Amino acid sequence: MRLIYKLILIPVILALAGLTFAAKMPASYVVDSAGIIENSIRQRLAGNLQELEQKTGVQMVILTVDSTEGIPIEEFALEKAEQWTLGQKEKDNGILMVVAVNDRKYRIETGYGLESILPDSLSGSIARKYLVPRFKTGDYTGGIYATAIVIMHTIASAEGVELTGLPKIQPKRTRSASPLSSLFTLVIILIIISSLFNPRSRGLVGMLLLGTLLGSSWSGGSRGSGGFGSFGGGGGGAFGGGGVSGGW
Amino acid sequence: MNKNLWAVLGIVIVVIILFVGGFISQYNKAIRMNEAVSAQWAQVENQLKRRFDLIPNLVETVKGYAAHEKEVFEHIADARKAYFAAKSVGQKARAAGELEGALSRLLLLQERYPELKANESFLKLHDSLEGTENRIAVERKRYNDQVRILNTYVKSFPGRFFAAWAGVEKTQYFEIPEVEKETPKVKF
Repeated sequence: MRLIYKLILIPVILALAGLTFAAKMPASYVVDSAGIIENSIRQRLAGNLQELEQKTGVQMVILTVDSTEGIPIEEFALEKAEQWTLGQKEKDNGILMVVAVNDRKYRIETGYGLESILPDSLSGSIARKYLVPRFKTGDYTGGIYATAIVIMHTIASAEGVELTGLPKIQPKRTRSASPLSSLFTLVIILIIISSLFNPRSRGLVGMLLLGTLLGSSWSGGSRGSGGFGSFGGGGGGAFGGGGVSGGW
Repeated sequence: MNKNLWAVLGIVIVVIILFVGGFISQYNKAIRMNEAVSAQWAQVENQLKRRFDLIPNLVETVKGYAAHEKEVFEHIADARKAYFAAKSVGQKARAAGELEGALSRLLLLQERYPELKANESFLKLHDSLEGTENRIAVERKRYNDQVRILNTYVKSFPGRFFAAWAGVEKTQYFEIPEVEKETPKVKF
């Protein structure tokens, strides 16, 4: 009984842990669920957004979905932005851009703190000028990239910084991911070390490793442990429903 | 015999401390809820004011194309005056509803004067207005959520005693009367 308990329960817990982390923050700055952004652009964009965060603290995430499934895009975007707590806690400087391809709707949701730098009238103009014309011709990649770049430039110049177009590749993030994930990692390491001294636990360790692998694959891999374009976790920023929506 | 007396006394004292502690925390809870409602109401008012301030510019831009639509402009002017005069939550909610109706009619003019849709100033103002409307909706919902929490507490047992003691009363929801809700919303 005890063995079965260990064999099943622990990997399941670890896998679930992986899943909860996935819900709490996006896997990357660009979450392309609808698969409309070309790969190389998506990576470059993620890198740019990472630089934006590093240099200005603004957390901007781009999310594409097939459809918001009946939920008004304003509600959908607000809920996601709040769930991911984009933006720094004191500054509320998060942005979430949502594109619902089949619904032909987009929304740029801005946090409380960005209302002066990126007022609705400006977001609307940017979207109208850079997103809509390209989307109308089916150029989703171009539309998203151009819009994002312009928004980033707007923020960068308002903050007085320069985005060099490619962030430095950092092997390790200075700001840690959620403390819970660090705790889990620590526990796993301790268990592995202790099992090395105890030959009977080797099987258990195998199960633990299996569970961790399952958990991380389900959550999409990136958990803010560093690297190019991966998202380190929401900063606790708040949103008040500001932003623009539109269609094409 | 003495030992037992001390034991009972000790227990009684502990119980009294627990009760007093409980009373204090419930009192504070009532106060906190009340403050949360007030703070959230301030947020709602902020956004309502923001919309209020946007309107003159919007009206001017539309007048540039539809100068003869006197009735629409008058309706808006009246609604603005009513909002400015409103004091209580209920009054403000009603006035806001009126204003929303008047604004819808103003924005409907886009259909009769399509050149408006090509005017960038108008489009920018329209974006600002829509953004504000959304913000109002969000803050309103949060306000009503806080009111629900407070009102439930004030109505419940034993919450009602602590609320009364703390001077905290039921608050009004921010509800827009049904009539105004039926006015059509303009979408691009």
